[in-house]
Amino acid sequence: MAVPAEHLDRLARGDARADRLFRWSVAAAGFFVLIGLVGAAVTMAWGGREAFATFGFGFITSDHWDPGNLIFGGLAPIVGTLITAGIALLIAVPVSFGIAIFLTEVAPPWLRNPVGTAIELLAGIPSIIYGMWGLFVLVPFLAEHVYPTLSRTVSQWPIIGPWFDGPPIGIGMLTAGIVLSIMIIPFIASVMREVFLTVPSRLKESAYALGSTTFEVVWNIVLPYTRSAVIGGIFLGLGRALGETMAVTFVLGNANRLANLLEPSSSIAATIANEFGEAFADLHRSSLLALGFVLFMVTFVVLSIAKLMLMSLHRREGN
Amino acid sequence: MTNVQIAVHTNAATPEPASAAKLTTRNLNFYYGDFLALKDINMVVPEKRVTALIGPSGCGKSTLLRIFNKIYAIYPKQRAEGEIILDGQNLLDPRYPINRLRSKVGMVFQKPVPFPMSIYDNVAYGISHYERLKKPAMDERVEGALRQAALWDEVKDKLKQSALGLSGGQQQRLCIARAVALKPEVILFDEPTSALDPIATGKIEQLIAELKRQFTILIVTHNMQQAARCSDYTAFMYLGEMVEHGSTQQIFTKPSKQQTEDYITGRFG
Amino acid sequence: MDAIASERLYRRRRLTNGLALVLSGVAAIVGLFFLGWILFTTLDRGIDGLSLAMFTEMTPPPGAPLGVGGLLNAIVGSIVMCTMAVLMAAPIGIAAGTYLAEYANYTKTGTVIRFVNDILLSAPSIVLGLFVFVVLIGMPRQIGNALQDTTAGQAGGWLEGMADWLIDISGFSGFAGAVALGFIVLPVVVRTTDEMLRLVPIQMREAALSLGVPQWKVISKVLYRAALSGILTGVMLGLARISGETAPLLFTAFNNSFWNVDLGAPMANLPVTIYQFAMSPFENWQLLAWAGAFLITCFVLLVSVLARFLLLRKKMNHD
Repeated sequence: MAVPAEHLDRLARGDARADRLFRWSVAAAGFFVLIGLVGAAVTMAWGGREAFATFGFGFITSDHWDPGNLIFGGLAPIVGTLITAGIALLIAVPVSFGIAIFLTEVAPPWLRNPVGTAIELLAGIPSIIYGMWGLFVLVPFLAEHVYPTLSRTVSQWPIIGPWFDGPPIGIGMLTAGIVLSIMIIPFIASVMREVFLTVPSRLKESAYALGSTTFEVVWNIVLPYTRSAVIGGIFLGLGRALGETMAVTFVLGNANRLANLLEPSSSIAATIANEFGEAFADLHRSSLLALGFVLFMVTFVVLSIAKLMLMSLHRREGN
Repeated sequence: MTNVQIAVHTNAATPEPASAAKLTTRNLNFYYGDFLALKDINMVVPEKRVTALIGPSGCGKSTLLRIFNKIYAIYPKQRAEGEIILDGQNLLDPRYPINRLRSKVGMVFQKPVPFPMSIYDNVAYGISHYERLKKPAMDERVEGALRQAALWDEVKDKLKQSALGLSGGQQQRLCIARAVALKPEVILFDEPTSALDPIATGKIEQLIAELKRQFTILIVTHNMQQAARCSDYTAFMYLGEMVEHGSTQQIFTKPSKQQTEDYITGRFG
Repeated sequence: MDAIASERLYRRRRLTNGLALVLSGVAAIVGLFFLGWILFTTLDRGIDGLSLAMFTEMTPPPGAPLGVGGLLNAIVGSIVMCTMAVLMAAPIGIAAGTYLAEYANYTKTGTVIRFVNDILLSAPSIVLGLFVFVVLIGMPRQIGNALQDTTAGQAGGWLEGMADWLIDISGFSGFAGAVALGFIVLPVVVRTTDEMLRLVPIQMREAALSLGVPQWKVISKVLYRAALSGILTGVMLGLARISGETAPLLFTAFNNSFWNVDLGAPMANLPVTIYQFAMSPFENWQLLAWAGAFLITCFVLLVSVLARFLLLRKKMNHD
């Protein structure tokens, strides 16, 4: 090499220094990501400590939410969050499953990409659009065409009847659940689709060779092979549904009370969105932050389960 | 051991005179984690000659090659013990600066990997790290390297175009130009033609015959005929051990170990 | 099994299969149907409010006649905050992604950071908004108040100055909004950068390192170039995501009915404006809300399509 040795040595030392600096900087950025998550958890917990201290366990079990008298029991929003998310899953899972099957086994190849892209576009639409569409289009539609019949007929049924015994004004947890379900369908569908595509074709081919129908291949081969990842995808959708704010705030009605599916009610995110701006009392703020902490913890657990289930499939692939 | 009649073309019509040792390995051992992959390798790579490393799949020839420029060092579980002497200094000594090593020992890989930049920038990439050259001087160096790699005529009008547009054989010659641009003393070739068609392969082999006038060349190949065609010295490896090494003519006509003979005659592969 | 029974079984299997296939097609149609309905509604109602005035005039007072006023301050505010968010989060995200792909790949630290990052990716955005609120607004105000109480009566001194400054900066601000949005962009960029860098073949790294070039230069001059379009896609997807986010802005940037480009004060933005206007009973406001919704949807879809197009081109180049 034409370069003298001392120059090379000086260069080597400079290179080593620059390498160290670079490595440190990117590592710091990596750890910053950890700070983001840990910070969110810690600030919620810290902010909510006053509420937890004042109300103890009752914060989660009491539904008495009275800002005027500074009494806060968060049961209603918590239940609201869980129920709306549950309804959303109930609707979204079979539909997503159907879409995933359609895109991987049923649709002719030329149709798969356009339809797949269209479904993914659904995921990109901001939640506030869903909320507005929900309030201005879906609610009147349901109030006029569906709910009157629903509240008349189903409310007479045993057990689930009381859940539908409400004024058919169109808002409430059922509507919110429907809007949420449309929101999370593309998430669950795309995870399922990706996961179905990882099934080795030789497995499917040997089943087809034995005369199985498409449905049987899916039910007996694809699903069992991808079971944990499918559950992971469902949990991912659940995590999203639990944390959604704008899509539900528009259509829930902002009534902080335990309600049935057709009455105005509330969710954690909606309560925080509606009340935080005007919560001037420290205890009020603290209670809302405490609710935020509960939401965060629940989504954290759900999303962690989702991730673990998805990772197990990855490992099987040898990634 | 009987003379083995093989229809193998060696370039031994006029065998090169013996030359001094450029690289010497002493008691070289290599580990993947706890697994001992190379056992006690002792060999000599003569200066300004082509030495070929041959052997069946998994024998360790690529592993051995990659020790010479310490490229294994970026993988935490891999380590080498022993000595490799280059010009009187031990390359494996942790105090030997890596960039000095890599400026003296260049490498060309199996799969041509042009950088995602123009042809000119590809060749200039290594140079610009070591030397601050003004444009005319750099142009000269780039041209010189491309000429040495027998690529200049084909690319001189499109130096600013992306290197990704070249054919496989051209890309590989670009990688060779990239390596020779640093004016190394040794060039390592790791199965350089296994991804190329026969015509491109022929061009590269021709190139190597030219390059050995200036550089010491160590080439790994799984193609015995290629070793016989191109190299002056051959080393045969099996299961991580150096079975035999000597002049190509001797290895291919009068191998002294039964294993070597078995491999050469295709009894196993 | 005799012939009749097996024939019957076969027919039942065919029937089940046919039913399943039809249902999956129905599911796909349902998904597309809602996509079309939502997009159509947004287009239909939004176009009515669309006019040049939307881009040139500021938000009008409630109850003003239709056609008066626009969304200029909201649009500009959103542009400012989204740009800032991307400018802050993208470098950190790219650095963190680099750390994961080049330094911490296959290590425990890397796995943990990737896990946490994925959770952050799907975390409720309202929680992130609360987090930023507490850190940038809530806590400074509390500390400032506390400091003021302790220095009460003692004029001057740097403690009092600090207290004043803390109270001063602890209000809704465009900066806080940008930070909250930044935390939503961050995990997206981290993930795409990580994946794109890992796609670069290992031989390219080895080839560059064999020339004696130090690792930091290999990464910045060769690997980034090779992964550039992928990394840009990640940034664009992050941008698409935050342009419609409302919840994190509710308690950080809040909103502003007037023109404001001062990052230290509440800043108008499209999503919160739409939220306020849509929930109001005023017709002119509702019309503007739909126009704004249409605008956001167009922008998000455009950026998403562009980003996926870039990614597709990159995938084709690699194969």
